[in-house]
Amino acid sequence: MALTRTAPARARSGRARAPRPGRSGWRRRRNAVGLAFALPALVLFAAFAIYPMLRVFQLSLYDYNLTSPPVWVGLDNFRLLFGDERFLASLGASLFYVVVTYGPAVLLALVLALGLNTRMRGSAFVRLLYFAPVATSWVAVSVIWRLVLQPEGLLNQTLNTDIPWLTSSTWAKWAIAIAAIWKEVGFFLIIFLAGLQNIPKDLQEAAALDGAGSLRRLRYVTLPLLKPITVVVLVMAIIRGFQSFSPQVVLTGGSFGTEVINLFVYKTAFASARMGRASAVAVVMFILLLMVTFVQLRALRKSA
Amino acid sequence: MSARPRTRTVLIPALALLAVAAGCGSDGDSTGDGGDQIELTYWTHTHPPMTELNKQLIAEYEEANPNVTITYETIPNNDFGTKMLTSLSNGSGPDIINMDDSALRGEYIPKQLLAPIEPSAFGAESVEELEALYVDGTLDGAKGDDGTLYGVPSEFNATAFAINTQHFAEAGLDPANPPATWDDVSEYGQQLVAAGHEGFNFVYLHAGWYTQQLQTLLNETGGSILNDDGTASALTEPKSVEALQIWHDLIREDEVGNADTASREATSPFEDFASGRRSMTMIYPWAVEQIAQDNPETFENLAVVPLPQVDPANPSGRWYGYYFAVNKASEQQEEAWKFIEYMTSQHDRWLTDVNFVQPLKDWEQSEAAANIPFLEVWSQAYQQGKFDEVGPHWSEVQDAIKAAVERSIFDGQPPAESLEEASESVDQSVTS
Repeated sequence: MALTRTAPARARSGRARAPRPGRSGWRRRRNAVGLAFALPALVLFAAFAIYPMLRVFQLSLYDYNLTSPPVWVGLDNFRLLFGDERFLASLGASLFYVVVTYGPAVLLALVLALGLNTRMRGSAFVRLLYFAPVATSWVAVSVIWRLVLQPEGLLNQTLNTDIPWLTSSTWAKWAIAIAAIWKEVGFFLIIFLAGLQNIPKDLQEAAALDGAGSLRRLRYVTLPLLKPITVVVLVMAIIRGFQSFSPQVVLTGGSFGTEVINLFVYKTAFASARMGRASAVAVVMFILLLMVTFVQLRALRKSA
Repeated sequence: MSARPRTRTVLIPALALLAVAAGCGSDGDSTGDGGDQIELTYWTHTHPPMTELNKQLIAEYEEANPNVTITYETIPNNDFGTKMLTSLSNGSGPDIINMDDSALRGEYIPKQLLAPIEPSAFGAESVEELEALYVDGTLDGAKGDDGTLYGVPSEFNATAFAINTQHFAEAGLDPANPPATWDDVSEYGQQLVAAGHEGFNFVYLHAGWYTQQLQTLLNETGGSILNDDGTASALTEPKSVEALQIWHDLIREDEVGNADTASREATSPFEDFASGRRSMTMIYPWAVEQIAQDNPETFENLAVVPLPQVDPANPSGRWYGYYFAVNKASEQQEEAWKFIEYMTSQHDRWLTDVNFVQPLKDWEQSEAAANIPFLEVWSQAYQQGKFDEVGPHWSEVQDAIKAAVERSIFDGQPPAESLEEASESVDQSVTS
């Protein structure tokens, strides 16, 4: 775009210069060096990310148990999946986890970000506290929550209840969601804070001068300007939610209705050695997430 | 472009790639340059008394065979099956494995991941001669459908019942009159609960444990997981439902134990009994030594008695074994079998030190056996066992059974309904 604008302008001014031979050669050399430096990383990325992904697409069309040669089955793996109660249940478990965990987590993160977006004394320390769970590994967090959620654990003692948090189909999925909200809020909080700090202060001041109270400023200034960040947060939330694996493994082993889609893929691939079927699930999830992300981005573009 | 910059442009990334490749390949040659130096890898599950004896025997073997180095790894129990199957399947597994018969018969042997046994390593001229050393039928856990033998037992277990005699006394029960039926377990259990203990419970670990305990009950009721030809589920048959009903009634109706508070520590499956919280449990020989080592006080009050029965006139039980076997992809098969021969030649130490029975003929008559506690009970249990069922995609079947037990025991779903759901999953797994 920039080039098409500047070239006629230069021609009109009569000061257009022929490109210096040395300059373009230097550029080519620079690009070649840059490419050469990027090449090792590109090779590794292609070998360990792109190639396995393409293999997954290919394997989804085969019956392959790791020991015998793959057998072409076409779309059979996909057909079988949609009649498989366990697959559908794991899809439901993932959906539940995404909605029940990331809905509240994103909302809570936004509220906390609005509260912490001040120069209040100690707010940096509070932000750090909220971010601490994000920096902790999921396995470590799950081990801690396993203790908290024991029948005689901290949560039951605090609530004075006797709920079998981790051994009941009614409660286990909620228990994992509670632990996940605790861990994930800090992640979205930091993103929202970054978004809030990019909103020009003069807009807020102008709205205040026009008589807008804090709620009206939030509704008509802050939230609309946060929309791009919010969409990014929602896309990330959905992807992170569908990628969940560790809390379910550590807290319940996938029992009691908590076998999420990634855990199903793992068991299908490595415990049952049905690599073709596991690949088919991965392909389905890839397409599903791609569609959801596409719809979200379209929605953002329309509202912008 | 001049030659020099072009050379640099190519050389620098090439060197970077080379460095990465060198890093990836720096694992070294497994046999080294020592010519006759042999390196073997050996994986087992995690059972602390067994791990300790394995380490001792490996050290002795290495001392006697200075050209052999054995790398021994223990894998966490919950991941053991998955890790072993995956690594054997992609050719990266250990030379020597120690694995249970369900996995061998269900997965490893049908998938041709194991090397057939080498009888000469055991000083036998034929497989038949080797088999003749063992109690009849006990090697079946490591045989393929065509009768080929792939391993020898590291441990062979029958199922019995453990009671805490002190708890019995506190509840006004006579330890000399242990429960003979599951109805007795219910009755005694309720008295033990009234005395402040958990009367009885099953063990709630991974899918394998759920399945083996249900299988024990199925053997007694005459039910089964699959039909006779292994092509469909038999879980909805009345005798199969009866097995889960026993479990359900003990825990949900009679409340002799609380499944929600049961320990889930796979390294110490009998933790609740060993810690003195639980009064009665199903038990295997290896667990007795673990209790003796970890909880001497409980061990003092431990009595092993025959497994309670649905029909005491026709007692039934369950066998299972772990077998030493060799990875078919191993390049050191001959050396691996030699090491296994050494391990099995130490059968008396396995019995004395860790209560592992290696079922050589007349093992009960050996001096080592004379010293193991409750020999008579174990001896009787070994007379009435049988191996577990296996079938195609067995890990999925085990998952379906675990889910069925959990629905029934933890969520309270009636066993018939729960097994109906499981049955659909099992049918799908064995037929697709």
